[in-house]
Amino acid sequence: MGCLHSTATKQFPGHEDPVALASQTAFSVSEVEALFELFKNISSSVIDDGLISKEEFQLALFKNRKKENLFANRIFDLFDVKQKGVIDFGDFVRALNVFHPNAPQEEKIDFSFRLYDMDGTGFIERQEVKQMLIALLGESQMKLADETVEIILDKTFLEADLNQDGKIDKSEWHNFVDRNPSLLRIMTLSYLRDITTAFPSFVFHSEVDEVATQL
Amino acid sequence: MTCAWAESRKRRRITIPEILKDEWFKKDYKPPHFEKDDDVNLDDIDAIFNGSDDHLVTESKEKPASVNAFELISRSKSFNLENLFEKQALVKKETQFTSRSPANEIISKIEETARPLGFSVQKKNYKMKLQGDRTGRKGQLAVATEVFEVAPSLHLVELRKTGGDTLEFHKAHSSLNFSNNLDILRNLNSHLLIGP
Repeated sequence: MGCLHSTATKQFPGHEDPVALASQTAFSVSEVEALFELFKNISSSVIDDGLISKEEFQLALFKNRKKENLFANRIFDLFDVKQKGVIDFGDFVRALNVFHPNAPQEEKIDFSFRLYDMDGTGFIERQEVKQMLIALLGESQMKLADETVEIILDKTFLEADLNQDGKIDKSEWHNFVDRNPSLLRIMTLSYLRDITTAFPSFVFHSEVDEVATQL
Repeated sequence: MTCAWAESRKRRRITIPEILKDEWFKKDYKPPHFEKDDDVNLDDIDAIFNGSDDHLVTESKEKPASVNAFELISRSKSFNLENLFEKQALVKKETQFTSRSPANEIISKIEETARPLGFSVQKKNYKMKLQGDRTGRKGQLAVATEVFEVAPSLHLVELRKTGGDTLEFHKAHSSLNFSNNLDILRNLNSHLLIGP
């Protein structure tokens, strides 16, 4: 059992024991191992260093390593908890855990709040929403008059910004999402439920005795 | 009928829609059963209980639901983390486009376009269910459509596949987009690469 672990740590800086990761997340040990297969694919696509760089992330997401995108950057930053500019396996599993169908709503709401709070002030400011909206419009090549953008923002803040201070705080966001549950659609990946069928090669590499870990 | 089938020149061979119309075929043929739309039933019940005629004209009075900035933002394709799990970009099961036409005109236009394509249409307010009449690779194609208001005189139309084959969905929605004369600004999700 020691063999798999020590080889992995040599090649994959920050690699953590699948059993430990499984106990911290909604994933089973086999699912963590399946995620490791995925992680290996993504992290070796540009530089084979056992870490996912921004470029590798973009390649995996858009099938285009050069494609820069405001939202993908935000997601990358949230995955890169230690702010090192790269995502290691532990980061990868813990971040994906939030997207698991069984993950607590609280975590999903919290993640989405931090996603939209681009400068990390603890508030989603009107200017940030405007920036994201403009980015979305640019991405879709849709042109809207600035006036229209302002109307959309007015309407949004009227609904979300309960104390009308021009920004949305954590509790206002919570309240807003409760009233608009479709906003959390992006926070769940049903794929994660079937991850072991998507990456079955782990079956041949696993040296972890799953029965023994179910204590 | 048999001669029509055996016709070797592909152009003149009888097509499935033609077969479905043929008298010989229709004898003892039971067409597939479409599920009744529960929404429509509830409306009737409401009208009875309320005893008013207002419900009969509900559709033209109400406005479409409005979307807020976050609903638009969350439609960015970069939030499609499912792509991480796929080697090639996924074929999306939904698509959107925008229009400056009035909402009820959009609904009529889609209906006008969908019917000749063989869809049956059920509508309630600004939601529609389109059901294809032909059985495709994975059963009948079903599409749910909804019109939202983004801003005064700007609407977002969402088309979502709810049944049937995704590739057929793409063929169908391309027809729905281009064969009508709506002032369509731009398709919001333009990456429609074919998956494995």
